[in-house]
Amino acid sequence: MRNVERLCLAHFWVAFGAFLAAAVLGTWQMWVRSPLGADVGTPGQYFMSVTAHGVAMGYVLTTFFIMGFGYFVAVTALARPLPGKAWAWFAFWMSIVGVIMTTVPIATGSASVLFTFYPPLTGSPWFYIGLVLVVVGSWIWCVLMIVAMAAWKRENAGRPVPLAMFGTVANAIMWLWTTVGVAAELLFQVIPAALGLTQTIDVGLARTLFSWTLHAIVYFWLLPAYIAFYTMAPRAAGGRLYSDTMGRLTFILFLIYSLPVGMHHLLMDPEHGNGTKFIQVLLTAFVSAPTLLTIFTITASLEIAGRLRGGRGLFGWIAALPWDRPMVLAVGLSFVMLGFGGFGGLINMGYGMNAMIHNTSWVTAHFHLIFGGSVVIMYFAIAYEIWPRLTGRGYTSLAPLRAQLWLWFIGMMVMTLPWHWLGLQGQWRRVANFNYADPIIAGWGPWVIVSFVAGLVLLASALLFVRNLLVLHLSPQAAIARPLYALAVHPPQRVPAALNGFALWNVLVLIVMALAYGYPIAQFAIAPSPSAIVHRIE
Amino acid sequence: MSEPRISEPHVLDQPWRVWATVTVLAIVIIGVILGVVVIPVVQGRSAGIDAYTAICRALGILPGSPAEPQPFDRTPSTPVSQVTWTPEVLQILARADPERGRAKVAEVCVACHGEQGVAVVPEVPNLAGQSGAAIYKQLHDYRTDSRTHPQMSVIAKALEDAQIADVAAYYAGQPKRNPDPATLAESPAAIVRLVELGDPARNIPPCAACHRPGAGGPIEAPILSEQDRDYLIAQLKMYASGERRNDVYGRMRTIAARLTPAEIAGLARYYRAGFK
Repeated sequence: MRNVERLCLAHFWVAFGAFLAAAVLGTWQMWVRSPLGADVGTPGQYFMSVTAHGVAMGYVLTTFFIMGFGYFVAVTALARPLPGKAWAWFAFWMSIVGVIMTTVPIATGSASVLFTFYPPLTGSPWFYIGLVLVVVGSWIWCVLMIVAMAAWKRENAGRPVPLAMFGTVANAIMWLWTTVGVAAELLFQVIPAALGLTQTIDVGLARTLFSWTLHAIVYFWLLPAYIAFYTMAPRAAGGRLYSDTMGRLTFILFLIYSLPVGMHHLLMDPEHGNGTKFIQVLLTAFVSAPTLLTIFTITASLEIAGRLRGGRGLFGWIAALPWDRPMVLAVGLSFVMLGFGGFGGLINMGYGMNAMIHNTSWVTAHFHLIFGGSVVIMYFAIAYEIWPRLTGRGYTSLAPLRAQLWLWFIGMMVMTLPWHWLGLQGQWRRVANFNYADPIIAGWGPWVIVSFVAGLVLLASALLFVRNLLVLHLSPQAAIARPLYALAVHPPQRVPAALNGFALWNVLVLIVMALAYGYPIAQFAIAPSPSAIVHRIE
Repeated sequence: MSEPRISEPHVLDQPWRVWATVTVLAIVIIGVILGVVVIPVVQGRSAGIDAYTAICRALGILPGSPAEPQPFDRTPSTPVSQVTWTPEVLQILARADPERGRAKVAEVCVACHGEQGVAVVPEVPNLAGQSGAAIYKQLHDYRTDSRTHPQMSVIAKALEDAQIADVAAYYAGQPKRNPDPATLAESPAAIVRLVELGDPARNIPPCAACHRPGAGGPIEAPILSEQDRDYLIAQLKMYASGERRNDVYGRMRTIAARLTPAEIAGLARYYRAGFK
């Protein structure tokens, strides 16, 4: 088992190392964009920084965290050794090589293409090849998760797979589906262009393939938070999970409705018919189903805990919850941010309303609040929850943990709410600086300064987070062993195969994806559109 | 733990298979009916579009939005340059032969631009290490009178497209000269700022947004480092006055007209030196 703990810690520390570096860059970017930093940095440096920030937060933090968490769940929830441990280490080192290959061209300024793959702008081929290696590493992880669950099911015929592992495998399968789009874009379009093998590139096709990946990747990042909601939070609060079936349904619904919806990122693009966009927006609306299921189930689970702890009346159970425990506190703060971010997302999703805020700070605010806020705060909570198990050491005080979570919550809310507001006023995103001498833009200045100050709060929180984990490694106190995963109110005895595996759902995903993306992709072969000249950065 | 035998999993599973499939497909089919048929046909009616066209547009088979007939601009455009970066033109550039280019250079270019692209006559641009696409565009513009020059117009008109590409490839392949360290540190902060940040208050974008040490700007943007100072001053003044007008979208005419004479001189001196 020690080897698995080393494996998990290695993944987590790479993830959080990248996170800390990216937090510094993010704060610097806020400074440069604000009136206070008008003379700081060049646009070249800004876009280099945005690229590094996005790659570190979006690809390194997430992928390594999810892989490490998956290995942890596979061993603890299934209570059996991890199959293919050597493969897991191989995947880890391959991903590390990928990260280094990606970082060097970013640092030399030859890959300032941001972290989205929108040709004709292309950077150094090493940048893309490095990211492909990270993705291939994560594919190995996916296979290991599927193998681990299959082996457990063979040994425990007819018994329901533990919910935490069911969610992890749902995420692994979703990730395999998700990465098909960007892998095709990179391997067949972007990398040949970056290598100089092709001089023109079909931008519409590239954007379509990236949209395949673009929305589901966010759910790949999100699902660990949901796994913690369902399996860790009720236990941490001292209660039980209200419904195991709701959890299974939620993970399945995310698998189905995360994929055929990416075109809502292309609502302003000309290469697709409005009918196709409508279908995908309608399917996007169904993503609210698992979200609302989760909010209902977790609130009910917390209510059970609150009432067990003596809470009375309509809302008395809320006050009775053990808010001093980091996991419970993080769930509460995460839900608040999920609420604001979720409503903001409904605006992005609607064709007409999206037109108002398309490519403005609103979009940046939305994904920072949802991902950087409600998801990453759960990454913190998960780390705090499992770190004692990985190190065998216990916290001497939970106060710095709570302080860190509060700082992150306050920082993220104060940073992103002004961004939403500025987005409504038309502040465009992905620009290096603003001319605050312009009377229209001058009014944005104070709000940008407010969000820069919030950026400093977030940086303080990031530093405190890493400090909290480091301190634990040196803690004199031994960890107290206690169960991690919540029991359901009615623990499942038998579940239908549909809720215990993914065969049926993979078939349905295939059918829906063929309907949603079949013609939109085929049209580029049926009637090729004029290609754009590849625009290489040197 | 007691095992209540409710029923076998596969019996439990059948309704799941049926209902899950029906539900998921029903949602997609409702989406198709609404998004591809109902909404476009109804909206198309008020825009005078027949049902068949509206459905084809919604599917993306025909161009156009179902809501509005697209306005059509029939004004003929007057391009400032005849060069369009089509795949065919890029193929000509990719197939260019620097060796054939060397022969042509020795024949016609060498007298002013030098054998290795280092100008031998004042006010003539250095071409060593210049972007091939930039040289191609300027020679092509001289051929089509988009840009005029007493000697260059005549010389360029005697060359064919493939020969232009050969010459461009030859000069692009010459090593760039080393920047002069003496002049490198000289530029005042205001000029460096103009290069790196531009001046938003006057709507002047940074020079470095397009003119980069290597590729990365618009394909036809020339590399400016280690360029002849008087040549740069002359070009910026001609852009400012509108005498030179082969810049696509009028970008350089717009920018140059906003620069003060002192800034023009400062920028020319900056690009005489090269990049930090």
